[in-house]
Amino acid sequence: MPVYSLEVAVVLLGLVLLMMEAFVAGKDKRFVAHTALLGLGAVLVGSFFVDRTPDASGFWSFYKADGLAMTYKAIALACTMLVIVLGLDYIPVLEKFTARVGGHGAWGEFFCLPVFICAGMMWMASASDLTSIFVSLELVTIAFYVMVTFMRRNVGSLEAGVKYLILGALSTGFLVYGFTWLFGVTGQTNLDVIAAKLNSGTVATVPAMFSFALILVALAFKIGAVPLQFWIPDVYQGAPTPITAYLSVGSKAAGFIVTTRILQVFLGSEALVHNCTAILLAVACATLLVGNLAAIPQTNFKRLLAYSSISHAGFLVLALAAGPAGAFGLAPGQIVAYYLAAYLIMTLLAFAVLVVINRTSGSDDLNAFNGLHQRSPFLAFALLVAVASLAGVPLTVGFVGKLLVFAAAVKASLWLPLGFAIIGAVAGFYYYLKVLRNMYWNAPAGGTLPAITLSGLTKATLLLLIAATVVLGVWWAPLFQLVRR
Amino acid sequence: MPSVLFYIFAAVMLGFGLLVVVLRNPVSNALALAVSFLGLAALFVSLNAFFIGIIQILVYAGAVMVLFLFIVMLLDIKAEQRRKLNMPAVAGGVLLVVAFSIQLISVLANFEPGKRRINEVPLDLPAAAAARVASGAPAASINATLNAGSLPDVNLVGETLFTKYNFHLQVIGVLLLVATVGVIVISRREDKNAPAAES
Repeated sequence: MPVYSLEVAVVLLGLVLLMMEAFVAGKDKRFVAHTALLGLGAVLVGSFFVDRTPDASGFWSFYKADGLAMTYKAIALACTMLVIVLGLDYIPVLEKFTARVGGHGAWGEFFCLPVFICAGMMWMASASDLTSIFVSLELVTIAFYVMVTFMRRNVGSLEAGVKYLILGALSTGFLVYGFTWLFGVTGQTNLDVIAAKLNSGTVATVPAMFSFALILVALAFKIGAVPLQFWIPDVYQGAPTPITAYLSVGSKAAGFIVTTRILQVFLGSEALVHNCTAILLAVACATLLVGNLAAIPQTNFKRLLAYSSISHAGFLVLALAAGPAGAFGLAPGQIVAYYLAAYLIMTLLAFAVLVVINRTSGSDDLNAFNGLHQRSPFLAFALLVAVASLAGVPLTVGFVGKLLVFAAAVKASLWLPLGFAIIGAVAGFYYYLKVLRNMYWNAPAGGTLPAITLSGLTKATLLLLIAATVVLGVWWAPLFQLVRR
Repeated sequence: MPSVLFYIFAAVMLGFGLLVVVLRNPVSNALALAVSFLGLAALFVSLNAFFIGIIQILVYAGAVMVLFLFIVMLLDIKAEQRRKLNMPAVAGGVLLVVAFSIQLISVLANFEPGKRRINEVPLDLPAAAAARVASGAPAASINATLNAGSLPDVNLVGETLFTKYNFHLQVIGVLLLVATVGVIVISRREDKNAPAAES
């Protein structure tokens, strides 16, 4: 099976799901989600057994199937599956805030559209041409406009959707304008050819730097880095929680593979590498500072995770800026992939707990976590593992990711950015572990609350993610193997 | 195209473009924009880009502007009140115009092929047909039209779109499907007696 049949399979799955949602009788549409899970799982398994050798057709100038692309495809598939599991837990909230049709909330499409987004992210993972980057990125972004606004009877969701739409359109403008300049100076759209052209010394540097700045601004929107990071807290807070998780992990990962590929072009050019690195380091430092310091006073857990998402973007940009040496035998792109795989596990674990809390208490506030230990020791433990890993406590998978970034920065002798990263990591310990006080020491406001019961699927998912966080924090080999394919 | 016509159409385009900003009635704005598009389409035609010129009229002046007018009239938007000039916005606008002008001038100054006039470089269609045959382009009818001395630009656009950029076309197809589903999801008609949602 050729590798591009993976995306075809995902799109076909999405079409089948839309048909099932529309034509299969019955008011309970949970079966759509279960079918999506089975289908995506099959594609995920299949992605390890596809034929990746390119043939002579012109298609392969737009599409790349290197190891990095396959890793990001696996991240996209795994992330989509977990988001669908989170969505199943979130159905009571969706029921309340989606349009009422036939006496029920209309949330069937909530489990169809992520499948198309997944296909878009898989195409982004493979895109190796300005044109294919643009069309796949737009597929993902436009589908996310819909998903963020999905709970249309909720003012917060609508507001988040409008904000995301306007800033997304702005960033698309920057992206296309940057691409135009890049095409103008090189006359090419294929990234490899552009890289060769930029390195040949015949290209004017000022327009090339101009296109770099424009493209970087647009990508900063996708990955949540300074200067286009200010939408993140509001949109994350307003969007349906599973979609917040999807934005935070899937959209960011897809943005980072495109960033990695485009930065390879600019950082590979001797004339540009110096200035580009300086700009990237400035972006990394500013992102680390904004993300971590603004997270400290937050009292809403969703906003806290939003700022945490910004701060992780700072670490990832730092890894990319640290130059081609990398660390521990991993190239910068592979370090980013490793970090994102770790980030996927721990962030989705935190969001899975948040979805349950949100469903039972109707609030994302830190106070809603008061007394969680009495209500459900298992959930409290899951969140303990998640925040420990997000903060980077040793023996968790998040620690390994941060260690790789720090090692790469040390190897490149980036002492000032390293200082910012250390400040960020230390601040992280404070604001991540703040939630522990709520869970274990604070008494719930309204006396003792009823215990929380979890469905089998949720329990299994939480257990899997906890195990992955701890096991992969001790035994590093599997993720190393994954990103070095 | 004689340069007189160029100046007339350029003046139409810029003048009505200015009216879009200056007029206060939304319906007048939309109609002025439509006329501005017509001027732009004429300029495209003068550059031998007949297909883009026609599409400009059909899609932008036709479909998009009708949609704008529909929305303006459906929402019953009243003429805007005259406001005081917002100085930071004006300054930002001027800054953007200056920045774009500098970019445009610097590009035009550096782009060598742009210094030749279009009349000096006539299209060599038989040579283009020969190049296509040499590169193994499949559509023989396009080559025949080129050899006959006319430019089959619609056919060429179609051929490029459905062969070289077929992959992109499929992705855009998925995008349109997602957008259609999304519009239905966000605007679906609700039951009349549905309970009010708290926000």
